[in-house]
Amino acid sequence: MNQNNRRIRNLLADYGIVIAFFFLCIGLSVANDNFLTWGNWVNILRQTSINGILAIGMTYVILTKGIDLSVGSVLALGGLVTGSLVTGAAPHSAFISMLAGLAVGIALGAVNGALVARLSVAPFVVTLGMLSVARGLTFIYNDGMPIANLSKDFRFIGQGMLGEVPVPVIILAITFFVFWFILKYTTFGRYVYAVGGNERSAKTSGISTRWVIFTVYVISGLLSALAGLILAARTTSALPQAGVAYELDAIAAVVIGGTSLSGGVGTLSGTLVGALIIGVINNGLDLLGVSSYYQQVIKGTIIVAAVLLDVSRKKQV
Amino acid sequence: MRLLKIAAMTLALSIAATGPSWAQQKKTYNIGAAVYGLKGEFMQLWATALKEHPAVKDGTVKITIFDGNYDALTQNNQFDTMVTQKYDGILFVPIDIEAGAAGVEKAAAAKIPVVGSNTRVNSDKLTSYVGSNDVIAGEMQAESVIKAIGGKGNVVILEGPIGQSAQIERRKGNQNVLAKYKDVKVLEMKTANWSRAEALSLMENWLTAHSGKINGIIGQNDEMALGAIEAVKAKGIDPKSIPTAGIDGVTDAVRAVQAGTMVSVLQDASAQAQGGLDVLLRSITGPSYKPRSDIWTKYSAQGLSWGDGTAKQFNIPWTPITKANADAMLATRK
Repeated sequence: MNQNNRRIRNLLADYGIVIAFFFLCIGLSVANDNFLTWGNWVNILRQTSINGILAIGMTYVILTKGIDLSVGSVLALGGLVTGSLVTGAAPHSAFISMLAGLAVGIALGAVNGALVARLSVAPFVVTLGMLSVARGLTFIYNDGMPIANLSKDFRFIGQGMLGEVPVPVIILAITFFVFWFILKYTTFGRYVYAVGGNERSAKTSGISTRWVIFTVYVISGLLSALAGLILAARTTSALPQAGVAYELDAIAAVVIGGTSLSGGVGTLSGTLVGALIIGVINNGLDLLGVSSYYQQVIKGTIIVAAVLLDVSRKKQV
Repeated sequence: MRLLKIAAMTLALSIAATGPSWAQQKKTYNIGAAVYGLKGEFMQLWATALKEHPAVKDGTVKITIFDGNYDALTQNNQFDTMVTQKYDGILFVPIDIEAGAAGVEKAAAAKIPVVGSNTRVNSDKLTSYVGSNDVIAGEMQAESVIKAIGGKGNVVILEGPIGQSAQIERRKGNQNVLAKYKDVKVLEMKTANWSRAEALSLMENWLTAHSGKINGIIGQNDEMALGAIEAVKAKGIDPKSIPTAGIDGVTDAVRAVQAGTMVSVLQDASAQAQGGLDVLLRSITGPSYKPRSDIWTKYSAQGLSWGDGTAKQFNIPWTPITKANADAMLATRK
């Protein structure tokens, strides 16, 4: 009996979030006939793709005990730079323009990374600064005006479909598998966990902790810009005010997915489920016609519940 | 190093010393423009137009723009700054209809005239208000969508941030018209916070929840209407088959009107800004002041009149955007 109880508890701790996700889906499919249709899932996945991509980078950062508050601003600047290149009198190809946008993300991520890793400034402070600086640069870049008339090739990454699957979802899937693989099967991935678990002992065992920490911020910057390109392509214009407060949903997805804010513990698959839960809640409550005020209350409750689950799991160990 | 510092200080001092003597050559009016925030395209257009006013261009007026960053407290602090620095007049675009009143009172106590523009503030100390009536815009847009669907069917409404004066008044306008049409049903009404991305997701979900039942879309601003159109397109539906209306006349919306996918009415940022400055200058310099912006002649046929420039309120008319006037509007935006 006792053993059974414990087994159930372990199961709950390991798969609690997946189980919660299933119950949420079952509940919503009972409440609304449209929820389980393919068309609706295309919507949910497409709506989740941007937050999902941000949350993947955020997971890397949080695993090293860091935080990246600048993702929403980097997203906007990346989108705007790419937008400015695919339009105008002599537009560049979508490919070149996207590379430039991604390079902006990498550069801003590198600044974050260098300040955190080299100069040991607290990640919260560094990225809070970047949140403001990158947003300001976004407004300076085009005098605060949106950039419209994005080329058709470029819009494909936001609006296109490959068969029945939207392109943003495919980009999310590829991003997920690449970074899941890196985290799980490469030395760098193991170092990320080691740095977050115990930086000092990671350092004494010969890991270049600075390099690892620098790299996770570069990854987060790159993925923020990638999300920015998709957002601009989806909304058919690069808006300087895009992505305000997106860091909150990205952090929420990571935390709901079971990654510990004190670093070293967590998985990318958890994060993906976390992002899906947020997407499903927003979609389901829209379908049911629930006011957006309740949406915020429910999302907040789930975040805290997820952390409680995390705490109880740690107590067991 | 020290030498450098001394050089810098001397330079700074000499600039400070020469400053006032320049000002004495010709009276320059220091005008502060306290706007709720510069992140949306509309306020950008407003600020650009203000700097294009003839009095600013010829140096009679020096404009300083204060970005309120969408925060009532920030705006309040900026009023303190303008009062302490003895600005000659203030143009005010408040974020909050009630919270803005405190700043206006402070300025009034220091005998600095304040003219409201674009959004309202509840204060009898305001010298005048130059803006457009959002209730009328809400009526115009609802009327055009309902007419386009033949006076009956289902509509959805994308609302602004609940509690902002534009949302409250545009909703009132929507409802005034909806009350007249018993055969029009509002399927959904929810905020998308003026945001294109939020409206896109919301509309996608509505199109699923009410598949095939949505006949018309009322977006309380252009950004949200544009997001809704993207959702309609993504669903494989011809956007021309679901009449959609926005408000404001941002650049993308003017283009969408040209393409025939939406209707919108222009809120003339330039008239609100330049008209506001004329009214303010009249209040500072006295009855001899003649308005210098061309907006007074532009809208005189539609009932806007300068009078002696001392009215408590000036209503800038809304202009429906049509394929005929779209080109001219885009030309003014570069």
